[in-house]
Amino acid sequence: MSTVGAEARADRAERPSLWVRLGAVQRRFQLFQIIALVALFEWGTWTVTDFATKQSVYSMLVTASFLGLAGAGQTIVVLVGGIDFSIPAFISLGAILMSELTGSHGWAFVPALLVIMAFALVLGAVNGYVSHRFRVPPLVVTLGMASVITGGLLVWTHGQQTGSPPTFLGRLSSVNGTTLGIGIPPVVVIWAVVAIVLGVVLRRTLAGRHVYATGSNPVAAELALVRTRRVWVGAFAASALLAALLGVLIAGYAGAGGTTLGDPYLFEGLAAVIVGGTAFGARGDYWRTVLGALVLTVLSTVLVGKGYSSADQQIIFGILILVVVAGYGRELRLRDRI
Amino acid sequence: MRRGQALIDTLRARPWGFAAVIAIALLIANVVARSSFATPSSWPATLATFAPFALAAMASTPQILSGAGNIDISIGPLLNLINIVIVAVLIPHGLGSPWVAVPIALGIGAVVGAINGVLVAGMRFQAVLATLCTLFVLEGVAQKILPNPTTGTASWLAHLGNKVGPIPGALILIVVPFLLWFALGRTAYLRTLFSVGGDDAASFSAGVNVTAVRVIAFTLGGVLAGVAGIALAAATQSGDASQAIQYTLPALAAVAIGGTSLLGGRGSLIGSVAGAAIMFLIQTLLDSLAVSDLWLQVVYGMLLLLAIVFSSMLAAPRAVKARTA
Repeated sequence: MSTVGAEARADRAERPSLWVRLGAVQRRFQLFQIIALVALFEWGTWTVTDFATKQSVYSMLVTASFLGLAGAGQTIVVLVGGIDFSIPAFISLGAILMSELTGSHGWAFVPALLVIMAFALVLGAVNGYVSHRFRVPPLVVTLGMASVITGGLLVWTHGQQTGSPPTFLGRLSSVNGTTLGIGIPPVVVIWAVVAIVLGVVLRRTLAGRHVYATGSNPVAAELALVRTRRVWVGAFAASALLAALLGVLIAGYAGAGGTTLGDPYLFEGLAAVIVGGTAFGARGDYWRTVLGALVLTVLSTVLVGKGYSSADQQIIFGILILVVVAGYGRELRLRDRI
Repeated sequence: MRRGQALIDTLRARPWGFAAVIAIALLIANVVARSSFATPSSWPATLATFAPFALAAMASTPQILSGAGNIDISIGPLLNLINIVIVAVLIPHGLGSPWVAVPIALGIGAVVGAINGVLVAGMRFQAVLATLCTLFVLEGVAQKILPNPTTGTASWLAHLGNKVGPIPGALILIVVPFLLWFALGRTAYLRTLFSVGGDDAASFSAGVNVTAVRVIAFTLGGVLAGVAGIALAAATQSGDASQAIQYTLPALAAVAIGGTSLLGGRGSLIGSVAGAAIMFLIQTLLDSLAVSDLWLQVVYGMLLLLAIVFSSMLAAPRAVKARTA
């Protein structure tokens, strides 16, 4: 009896230092997310045939690129303390404008792209401005904006989309695509570039510091001469822009535009952000969303590969996300926050 | 002039005041646009369509009031699942009597709500993530139970969807949460809920069991989702698993429009009903004015933006004060 007690005491004396050290590593390198990713991948390799082939890994990377790009804008918006539910609408905007302008109206690619970027920046900025100026929840504002955009697209196309996007767009997201002769699908390279740029901008530039300052304490940020309204306008405009550009890529992948094209990214994009470990109130960065998108993609690929029905997939998906996140993504105890 | 100022102050003291005013204005606009809207014989059908949405908004309220950014996005799939269980499981298996079906509906709601509460308050997952996972699971379960849409009805459901005696059945369902809320107001619970939502650390220091208060708030939301599921079954008398998320985000928007702070600690059930009424009445108004289907979404979105901006501008002095405080 007494030796067990002594052991327990020794354990308790030792454990804090280990946990503290692990916690420090976790904060810098997202150790648990990487462990979860490797574990899920190994699980797939051992239980699903042809899981780790080049073809399968590339197709996972393409899927993860779409999901990761959908989570890019959401990451910035969540960091400043908002939420953006108009991302699916902006994806549709990019996809439909690109396919209709180039496919049905005979525009060249570049002018069409510029028009899409202009629309996205302006409408996204409106999201941020209205939410901040009138102090209304961005949840409602972005829902209203999503309805306006989807409706506007329906009015413009008279409810039927007929155009198809330029064919080179499809090659960007083809699993067998090559980038400058190197055998990596271009969309994956695009994702990597976005991740590096966003990672550097958020962590190493003044604009990035303003994002974190605004998200962690808007009043203190304002007193420190951060113009929080500009930060909100910029964050929502960036989110809209990234979503619309993703829409252009998805139009190429799907071969056509459509008003429901963005819908799957509504909750899955948000899930990628949070599973990665970014939280409301300026905790996190885009690298975590990248990990989150990879974790979710590998998980759903394993579930598909094991032949579950779509209903079973959803149930297991929901439960396993919680199991994965239990390792790192939980809040502090209330008694530790006082 | 004086009296007008007094009225505005009275409204400002109540977070739901301006939402109620906008809802009443929209109601009048509806009657002007189509006089049959005011005919009592049309009320049961209108209210039956309104009830699931209003109840979904009410079911989303207690979790938000409990603070810490808590939010429950699984309410939509939960009420859809309960609707499916009533229509496609209980009624075909001869368990369609209200004495069996209603407790089962409320029970499912309570259990799922309590699981959400334990995940968020007990196991300390972020509320958005925990309830998002619940949303995935509930959608999957609904698909498993009912792969294809179906219909099913019982006489009590038909009555609730139309009239019970002289009263529209949907009205009875909408009143249930208020009775529950009123009863809770007689206990210490509601006051504790608002205190936890306002400042959880202070409440904890004052000896409040914050975890229990939050688990109960999620459970309460689940029970109300049960009522909403019954209302949906009464209104549609059919089930469709693909409709799982139609109420999710609009219900949360209704709560916010109703003056409830998404940060917690401030808000009311009646505000959520007023918020839901605003969104519902905008749609019926557009219907009555025969706005083309294509334009419907554009106008709806713009009116939604106007409604939230307008009600926040009217309540502005409070916001300014809060900012400098």
